[in-house]
Amino acid sequence: MKTKFSGILTLLLALVVQLTFAQQKTITGTVTDDTGLPLPGANVIIKGTSTGTQTDFDGNYTISASATQTLTFSYVGFETKEVRVGAQSTISIQLNPGSALEEVVVTGYSTRNQTVQTSAVVSISASEISQLAPTTSIDNMLQGKAAGVQVTSANGKPGQGAFVRIRGVGSLTAGAASPLYIVDGAPIREQDLSNIPNEDIENISILKDAATTARYGSRGSNGVVVITTKSGNRNRDAVIRFSSRYGVTSRIEPNFTMMNAAQKLQYESELYALGITTASTLPGVTTEPGSPERQFLLDNAVDWQDLILKEGVVQNNSVSISGGGEKMDYYFSLTNDRNTGIIDNIQGFERTGTRLNVNFDAKEWLSLGVNVGYSRSFSDEPRDRNNAQNPFRAMLDYNSYEPEFVLDEDGNIVLDENGDPVYNPTRSGFPVRGALLTEPAEEFENTTLGSLDAVVKFSKNWSYGFNASVNWQAARSESYSQPGGILQDILAPNGPQGNKRDRQVHRVDLTLSNRLNYNLRTEDHNLDILGLYEYNMNEFNITQLRKLGFPSAALTTQVHASGFDTNDQNYTLRNRLTLLSYGLFAEYDFKEKYLVGASVRTDASSNFGADNQYGVFYSGSLGWNIAKEDFFAVDEIDLLKLRVAYGTVGNRNGINRYASQAVNVYNPYPVSDSGDSGNASIPDRVANPIIKWETTTTGNVGLEFNLFNNRLRGVTDYFIRNTDDLLFVIPTADEQGIISQGGVQGLEGNLGEIQNKGLEVAIQGDIFRSPDFTWTLGGNILFLDTEIVELPNGQDVTPNAFNIRYSEGRKINEHFLIRYAGVDPATGRSQFYGADGNIYFANELPEGENRVFQGKSTIADKEGGFFTNFNYKGFGLRADFVFKYGNWINNIVKQQRINEGEFIDDNQAIDAFNYWQNPGDTGVLPSPIYTLDDTAITSQSDRFLERGDYIRMRNVTLSYSFPNELLEKSPINSLRVYLQGQNLLTFTKFWGDPEVGLSSGETIPFADVVAPGEVTLYSYPNTKSVQVGLDVSF
Amino acid sequence: MKKIFYNTALLLISIGVLSSCESELDQVPFDEAPQDQVYQTIDDFENATLGIYETLTLPTLYGGSDAGGMLDAPDVLSDNVTFAQRGRGTRFTLHNFLYFPADEVLGGLYARSYEMIYRANLMLSYAEQFQGDPEDISNFVAEAKALRALGHLNVVSFFGKIPTQSSDANGSLGIAYVTSPDFELLPARETVGDVYNKIVADLTEALADINPDNGVARFDTEVVALLLSRTYLYMGQWQNAIDAADMVTSSIAPRDEVNDVWIDESRAGLLFYIPNTQDGLGVTQGVTWSQGGRFALIPEYVVSLELYQLYQNDDIRKMAYTLNASNGQLQFNAIKKAFGRTVGITGQVDFKLFRVAEANLNKAEAYYNLGNESSARTELDIVRTNRYTSPPSGETGVALRDAIRLERRLEFAFESQRFFDIKRWGLPVSREAFGDLADGSGTPSVTLSLPAGNFRFQLPIPQSTIDKNPNLVQNPGY
Repeated sequence: MKTKFSGILTLLLALVVQLTFAQQKTITGTVTDDTGLPLPGANVIIKGTSTGTQTDFDGNYTISASATQTLTFSYVGFETKEVRVGAQSTISIQLNPGSALEEVVVTGYSTRNQTVQTSAVVSISASEISQLAPTTSIDNMLQGKAAGVQVTSANGKPGQGAFVRIRGVGSLTAGAASPLYIVDGAPIREQDLSNIPNEDIENISILKDAATTARYGSRGSNGVVVITTKSGNRNRDAVIRFSSRYGVTSRIEPNFTMMNAAQKLQYESELYALGITTASTLPGVTTEPGSPERQFLLDNAVDWQDLILKEGVVQNNSVSISGGGEKMDYYFSLTNDRNTGIIDNIQGFERTGTRLNVNFDAKEWLSLGVNVGYSRSFSDEPRDRNNAQNPFRAMLDYNSYEPEFVLDEDGNIVLDENGDPVYNPTRSGFPVRGALLTEPAEEFENTTLGSLDAVVKFSKNWSYGFNASVNWQAARSESYSQPGGILQDILAPNGPQGNKRDRQVHRVDLTLSNRLNYNLRTEDHNLDILGLYEYNMNEFNITQLRKLGFPSAALTTQVHASGFDTNDQNYTLRNRLTLLSYGLFAEYDFKEKYLVGASVRTDASSNFGADNQYGVFYSGSLGWNIAKEDFFAVDEIDLLKLRVAYGTVGNRNGINRYASQAVNVYNPYPVSDSGDSGNASIPDRVANPIIKWETTTTGNVGLEFNLFNNRLRGVTDYFIRNTDDLLFVIPTADEQGIISQGGVQGLEGNLGEIQNKGLEVAIQGDIFRSPDFTWTLGGNILFLDTEIVELPNGQDVTPNAFNIRYSEGRKINEHFLIRYAGVDPATGRSQFYGADGNIYFANELPEGENRVFQGKSTIADKEGGFFTNFNYKGFGLRADFVFKYGNWINNIVKQQRINEGEFIDDNQAIDAFNYWQNPGDTGVLPSPIYTLDDTAITSQSDRFLERGDYIRMRNVTLSYSFPNELLEKSPINSLRVYLQGQNLLTFTKFWGDPEVGLSSGETIPFADVVAPGEVTLYSYPNTKSVQVGLDVSF
Repeated sequence: MKKIFYNTALLLISIGVLSSCESELDQVPFDEAPQDQVYQTIDDFENATLGIYETLTLPTLYGGSDAGGMLDAPDVLSDNVTFAQRGRGTRFTLHNFLYFPADEVLGGLYARSYEMIYRANLMLSYAEQFQGDPEDISNFVAEAKALRALGHLNVVSFFGKIPTQSSDANGSLGIAYVTSPDFELLPARETVGDVYNKIVADLTEALADINPDNGVARFDTEVVALLLSRTYLYMGQWQNAIDAADMVTSSIAPRDEVNDVWIDESRAGLLFYIPNTQDGLGVTQGVTWSQGGRFALIPEYVVSLELYQLYQNDDIRKMAYTLNASNGQLQFNAIKKAFGRTVGITGQVDFKLFRVAEANLNKAEAYYNLGNESSARTELDIVRTNRYTSPPSGETGVALRDAIRLERRLEFAFESQRFFDIKRWGLPVSREAFGDLADGSGTPSVTLSLPAGNFRFQLPIPQSTIDKNPNLVQNPGY
């Protein structure tokens, strides 16, 4: 690649030096609002280019443009204005309040004014981002912000990302339903978004329909999120901005209560009295009420939730310096984020990032730009598994009467031979608080995002752009089981002391793109044509080493260890994926009234069969600005735009990078007593040379309107997305025996068809609008229908999920369970519906399949958010709410906490007391005497399937911006202070926290999840926080 | 003129750049080998043969699994173990006969067994295209066929009837006997009789070509002969069972080495074992029975007190197979066979699949069924004299039959046999109502019996397996 890279450059340079260019000049001015107040951060863009700047805190800007060009001035909540440069060198503009939609939309390959935009795109600006609830990963912030975007936070772990789905679920394969994320031209994985500090983000544009996503061809089928980082302003002294935020974080209080020691002991004895012999060895039975033994337990009782959790600290400090000269601009930042999380004994998450973005006009016809960001993060990785090694399960499993340390008869803590307290293994056998100290798992990530840009202007109409973007991640993860630690005693008390795994991962994603632009501007006609040629290469390397036998817990590098762990723990791996793309995109408008867009893109990807690597994706779109028509003279309507778009987009994710090829792998197999191994050759994958692109066809009709002098602003879209040739592991019969080393059973190929359709509505209104006081209300909602249209041979397919099944004509991700029919009042026994619709006890259910579909999916069919924002003089009060409605969650945590004695060793919620006792009892849990006989059916039933509906106040912020008069005599330009709360209020009927993403990260890891929010287990709980902050600039 | 120059230049950029990257689309894996290149040489076939054996070490076969597998399920389904309340509750429905198709019980065993069969079939199909002298790979072909037979025998023993189990067994639903690596195959179930005939055919062909000694961790004449003997025993072909077992000529482990065998300090009496070290396979199959050290034991299953009491005090197996362990106040009779060596990783031992003693006990049972009680006693006593200091002896008639059955239970407890033996003898599973603690207190297993002839002796074909192959028919009763 290196030679090709330099070849491109040479060619480029040889050509451009001979060319001449239109005369550029510097234009300055001020942008103000209708009351004359400066508008800081307003966008000033040279129309039809991606060149632009922002106004500073006094509303001033400087930009370099030619006389024939047109400047576009825009600001959120104001009408966009355009001014032809002509002979002027000072252009000051007053913007009228108006449309929130009147923005410049960044699509990565180009920018477009919202007025002439023909695609369903939502743009979120830096100023909006700064008002949202701060999170360490920006995908979490998108929830409720854009109609049609469904966000399910994976869990509450600091630095953890979210499951983002744009317009439903466009792929059935794990990891493929996420949108494509592009940062300054480079793709980035969803789980790596936490490496980008929020403060550096200028704009997030969410591309929803084919008119724009088709430009990303093979990768745009699940929507595209384009993230642009900040740049400085020309001819401006440096502005130094400092932000600081500090607060506390804690678990969102659960809406159930666990038993205390006395209650649990009572519960144990009650169950034993019913004949539940599993209680016989428990202290509720072996100690008498009122006895000294019982009193000892009560005296030494522990609140495990208090003990395991802590109140954490969240902290952010950032400094940025931005400005520019006549020929260059710069933005520099340094940020530090810390979130200790809520687990006592470990540190949580910390990230430090720095960025420098510079644009430089090397010649009048040549501009160069470089955006480079580096971040380094540290994260503790507590076990997210479904047993007591996970602190969030342990705190519910451990009984309150089990003390943290082993106690002697007098209640004193027993010490070991080294004088350290001896942890009580508890009934679960695993003291997690000790393990958090002796089994540390940590992850360090170094991420460099670089984007290098050269733009050559050949003429007024023609320009050429070259961009190289690199996303390079070097990550290191270490997990250590210290010698003498908790796991040592369980796994190998007589074996090698301690073991440690070191893993280093390198990911490189390189994009080289060549763009040839043609722009035509006349009085009536605007035409932009973009030719694209792009190469993308993604390489993954991993090195892992695991050794055993460490002399001391203080020694943490492998050089000290005495022996190697198993072969499958020591390896290097490497794989590579390439993509070659050609595109031609055109946009045209006539007097901004009639809008036309079209695109065609051909992508070739290395992971498909040799004859199926190429895919062609196209789109066409039309728009009509009705309010701009002369005949349309309704004063109350300021904007009325109708647009339609249709097109195809592809997907190549979710399959092996070499899925078309049959391969064998080698594993060791012993050939001698001394441990020598031979190379066992193992068929790992069957060839599928016909595997090809998954293709989504999207149709979209949208209406944008601004009414009553732009006081009411709205946009609504209706879409239909059909995805066929779904990439999926096509099930092969078990008798065929094809199972890969990764456990993939079947043949990766193209499976049936799915459909998502829906209606999106976003609306905002200014209830009050005056210079001193504004109150804005707004919200958005998605109404979504999903359907599995076609599967091979009409057969149902079972994905890697909890009782989720795909079936033709059904919703995507429907639960497939036996229906629970309540408690029989006469006997107290659970009842279930058979497939015949009759009611049975578990042991009498009819032969055959009794599980059924009930139209209950993990996917919310209504989702969105709403906000209210007051501003009075410098004071602001803003609240943002998010909601989900219509999704169903199988609440396994509830099952395990009110389980009528199945797991009587483990602590229970106090609701468990409410079991059937006498004939005629209703509204009760089943009698514990049947629990063990019925558990196999209960666990396959919908008894704990609950609606996941909720409304949550994600953010509430009270802020004060000091008036300019007060700051005038100080060196301070602007000063804002605020108090912010996150997740302080939740409305739900769900038992537990309804915001469920990951069930258990080690049961189904983030990247393998196909049905987020399917069940509850014990992943990191969501947190709430209260923070105070300060933004100041000089 | 200038315009022409621009246009040419633009065209040149485009073409120059476009032509250069095409070759980047031809990516071949770094971590995997193209399949059509790795079944060429004799070494390739040897490696492919090792690849079939490797399946045996996987979870749900002999590698141990929370989901149940070859290593544990024949005992979990039997009267040899009691469900331990102190454990994690694994295999609850399996142990208590509460399984149903959607429960997917032993689904892993089913799929993994066919994975082993697929590996064998793929190698065998490439062997037919081998360019060299077929003699050079005939030993590997023999090993592949024997492993294919073992895979089918294991599956049919769980999911179908065993020929001697009942008079209708041979005509009842067996399993698909798969002999080709075709991935579009949707085979139907054959009868039990047909399946056993094909197992015998594969083993007979294997026996003809396999080397007398293939070294460590490989099948050879004696292993295949023993497997054939077991198959004939299951089929009730007594003389064939004896003839095959007669080909096993190695010696049974003497009493003073029995304990060492299970802590990997002796190989006495082992016909087929797979060394398992932390820097080799590194499988900790003992987790299937328990975790933790002897004094912090977290058992999933414990030795049933009923079985524990059947081991006489002079029976070396009492200390070789069972272990007195505890956790706090709780005392357990732990399962020792996969508990671990004296040092090293807990739960990690060599895989031991076939032992000489089985040849003796197969013969004892077959002779008894042929009415040859004296030869039956001779074979039985070979085992007993190597286990007890003062062995019982001299039984006749039904007492002799029961002594043979008892000895088989005692000898092969926790060695993947018990449920099949109960099943093929047409007996019920009946567990005594002892609890899970060492003295029989605590909590007994939820289900204490499975009546003889109950449909649950044939496990349900997992629902997802049926979903994927519409030609399969579910076992009656589910």
